[in-house]
Amino acid sequence: MKRLAARPTNKIDRSTPLSFTWAGRKMTGMAGDSVATALFANEVKIVSRSLKYHRPRGLYSLDGESSNTLVNINGEPNCRAETVLLQEGMKVEPQNTAFDAEFDPMGFMDYMDGQMEAGFYYKKFHKPAALWPFFQNRIREAAGVGRADTHPHYHEHDFQELYPNAEVVVIGGGPAGMSAALSAAEAGCRVVLFEGRPNLGGFYDWRTREYDGEELTKRGSGLVSKVNSNKSIRVLANAFVMNVNGDNLVTGFQIGTGSDPFIQRYIEIRPESVIVATGCIERALVCENNERPGVMQAGCALRLVRQYGLKPGEKAVYSIADDLGIESALGLAEAGIDVLAVADARTEGADPELTAALEEAGIAYYDGWAASAIKGSKLVKGVTLATLDGTLDTDFDCDLVVASAGQTPLTGPLSTVNAKLAFDLHTGFFLPQEMPPRVHAAGRLLGLTDPKAIEASGRLAGLKAAAENGAETDIEKAEGELEGLPGPARGCLLAHGPNIGLGRKAFICFDEDGTYKTAKQSADQSFDVPELAKRFGGFGLGPSQGGIPNHNLPLILAEIRGDGPESLKPTTVRAPIVPPLIQTVAGPGHDIFKRTPMEAEQLAQGGLLRRVGVWKRARYFSEDLTCAEEISAVRNGVGMIDVSTLGKFKLFGPDAQKALQRCYISDMSKIPEGKLKYSAMLNDDGCIVDDGVITQVGPNEYYLTASTGRAGGTIEWFRYHTRYEGWDFHMVNLTDGLAAINLAGPKSRDVLAKVTEADLATEAFPYMGYREIEVGDGVPVKAMRLGFVGELSYELHFPASYGAYVWNLLAEAGAEFDIRPFGLEAQFVCRLEKGHVIIGQETEQRVNLRDLGMSFLWAKNDTESGKIGAPALRFTAEAENRFKLIGFTMNDGEPTPGDGSVIFRGDDIKGFVCSARYSRTLEKSIGMAIVREELSAPGQKIRIYQNDRNNPLNMGAVVTPAPFYDPEGLKLKS
Amino acid sequence: MSYTITCPVCGKRDLYEFRFGNEERGPAPKQDGLTLEEFNDQVQMHTAIGGPQEEWWCHRDGCGVWFRTWRDTVTGREVEKPEAAS
Repeated sequence: MKRLAARPTNKIDRSTPLSFTWAGRKMTGMAGDSVATALFANEVKIVSRSLKYHRPRGLYSLDGESSNTLVNINGEPNCRAETVLLQEGMKVEPQNTAFDAEFDPMGFMDYMDGQMEAGFYYKKFHKPAALWPFFQNRIREAAGVGRADTHPHYHEHDFQELYPNAEVVVIGGGPAGMSAALSAAEAGCRVVLFEGRPNLGGFYDWRTREYDGEELTKRGSGLVSKVNSNKSIRVLANAFVMNVNGDNLVTGFQIGTGSDPFIQRYIEIRPESVIVATGCIERALVCENNERPGVMQAGCALRLVRQYGLKPGEKAVYSIADDLGIESALGLAEAGIDVLAVADARTEGADPELTAALEEAGIAYYDGWAASAIKGSKLVKGVTLATLDGTLDTDFDCDLVVASAGQTPLTGPLSTVNAKLAFDLHTGFFLPQEMPPRVHAAGRLLGLTDPKAIEASGRLAGLKAAAENGAETDIEKAEGELEGLPGPARGCLLAHGPNIGLGRKAFICFDEDGTYKTAKQSADQSFDVPELAKRFGGFGLGPSQGGIPNHNLPLILAEIRGDGPESLKPTTVRAPIVPPLIQTVAGPGHDIFKRTPMEAEQLAQGGLLRRVGVWKRARYFSEDLTCAEEISAVRNGVGMIDVSTLGKFKLFGPDAQKALQRCYISDMSKIPEGKLKYSAMLNDDGCIVDDGVITQVGPNEYYLTASTGRAGGTIEWFRYHTRYEGWDFHMVNLTDGLAAINLAGPKSRDVLAKVTEADLATEAFPYMGYREIEVGDGVPVKAMRLGFVGELSYELHFPASYGAYVWNLLAEAGAEFDIRPFGLEAQFVCRLEKGHVIIGQETEQRVNLRDLGMSFLWAKNDTESGKIGAPALRFTAEAENRFKLIGFTMNDGEPTPGDGSVIFRGDDIKGFVCSARYSRTLEKSIGMAIVREELSAPGQKIRIYQNDRNNPLNMGAVVTPAPFYDPEGLKLKS
Repeated sequence: MSYTITCPVCGKRDLYEFRFGNEERGPAPKQDGLTLEEFNDQVQMHTAIGGPQEEWWCHRDGCGVWFRTWRDTVTGREVEKPEAAS
């Protein structure tokens, strides 16, 4: 299509042609075109096929308000062609077409409407039930939208995040939004301005009408340059707000243009104040075939002419309901399009200046008329206009019908932030009645139509926002100014075109092919309010989420019910108001984890890292996932494991001991010098939340360890449970500051002796002893003789910066003893053989300290310190048939059950396997389980059930007291 | 969950920086002579009122302090301490 002569309002750069393909055909657009306008310029009138009926659909709005122009761009389905700027080399494909948008063999579906009445998918194909899966697949195939690319080729920076700081967020870059942003910024606020279109301006961008001797486009460009040159305003173009949440959390996203490094980016701001200046969209005129390609909104037709230099058609007929519609007709006539007639649903209230201009241009003006039916089987061929009561009608041959029932406000952000909206009979809008704190509305969505009033309302909102941020502003003056200007204009309450009942398909919802008839069928089955009809009939559930139907459906249902429009209630709008790509919300997917100080050394030795909580840790040191060699080294020689992830804390202060007494279940008042105390922390229910060792390192000063998973929550826990007392104690989290290695095995003393001068003999450094020693070239080490894996072992804590040094030092010293590193899995097996519990593996919320067989830790007579969990232990002392932690041995020939397998008797579940492994040391499968007390006696036979990938196993085992290995603990103490 | 909580040390911050620490119920009763009913009341039987309630919050991702604040459980928002509660 040849473009119209250039005008100042053009948004296209005629000197930069861009080539792209549509369904494989080569086409050319211009820089500044959206994909939709570029297709239109190439005479592509049918862009997609509708969901149910496979009816042809084409360009209708220019803001992505319906699914009409959903296309696949470069493999990405469901792109809104109107909101994506054309780029060189784009591959654009139609979707939901069986063959081609132009010739779709599924088009016969249009005659199947008798089979697809409201709620048909709740009723049909369900009997017999066995047929449903078949029909479900057929329906999904026929009614799909885009096809997802299952092998997307995204780059790291395609989806980004932006968290700007601002005092004020303005949603909408039209005259009201720009005025609001300017007045807030001039009063000293930082402002972020969201605009969904590529450029600011709103209506000012294409309206050439004069107000006060100035063309609106001129006024607009003045405002735009003021906004763009104001350094306190950050303009985000092509950016949509998804949600305005409580306490003004604004989330949105921005679509990248060719020059941006991202495809989309997520935006999150928490401003003090939010100004909603989203303006209006056009309410669709519901009449027969009101979505034929060739029917479009008044604003769309005018913008095609003014901004893109495109002729929307050759012969046009208008059916509109506001002055903007008449302006559009005049604009088209001025561009040389033959406007045959303008039907105006209003009988009064039209601007006499505009109707006079129509007369002057020789365009017939029918007031009190509207389109009743649109003709043409594929594209528009003509239209019938009729009086609103349907008594008179007349036909026109044309290829363009501009149909609109007036304006309707975009209240999405107001709705998500819980502003109270009520239907206003004067404007026909849902207007805000009560605003949440620090949220303001401005502009056309308040029903204002006078450009000066729209600007003034923006300025007022901007000043209010500035005042909330501490600026001194003259709000009263701004209020006075607004009051002196024209208020909201009367709106049109027309629910649908004349003679609506006579036709076959008048669309309320384009996305889901919801027609007037569907609404009537819904109402007849008593789904007669929008919330019900929406779900039963399928209105507004599609991609546009009610963009088009939300405004007509309530009016039409009220009419069907026989209620007046005063019965209209706002419906709930849910985020996202405008849908982003799922990738945008998912974000770039950074895997954030902590590395231990010895990670490089372990990798070099073949360590296979796995995610453990916030850390990555070596789980294995070979491809042998049973870790035979690692375990053998620990049991027979010496091994070393990186345990730097353990929680490590310093606790000090005059009241430190009181805090310990409160949080640990044991008596912490007497920890002999140089000794470690093992104890547990319980919650109020008496369930164990953590275990660890504590030692006193000085007067009122303690060093304690926590398990890896609890490292982050330990200080919080101490503070919470001492919050009323105001005790004087402090805690320092040394977890990341200290590295730790557990040197374990019968030869561990020999290895350690080579790198320290400290006396390691059992008499000098016994089991559960704590010593501060020096290792190598004077590395200060907190050494603890512990035995988690059941062997002689030394846990060495030292500054993290020495991590690699100490690791290598021990590796060299241990070379003659064939030392080898071992990972978490080997440690897991060794401690299981020893019957040592892991919190979270052998414990759960129904199991208290006594059930675990660990009540020896409990200082029973202490009621003074307020030990957490102690009352629960007292009150459950007599409880019967609680869960108990047991050890078990699998019967000969049985496989090893998976962790979590069920333990049952008869039809009842009696417990579960906490952990189970084959033990090479013991040459049998062993495990620990939590079972009902009735099954916990030693020698009791138990049955374990596991269904692993449809391979059900019913296994036998016998309860065996743990520890399985070295029950007397001789090795630990050797 | 998008609202804000005001930390006495760090000021108004996003909710997700905080950990909820339950409604304010006063210190735990003395364990000596504690009855099951008293214990149950303290640990389980929360008031769970709809409206302004005093609560404990921890500024977990900030300064780490535990503090009390008032919040309306119906709207989810932090509120001023009601006069009736003084």
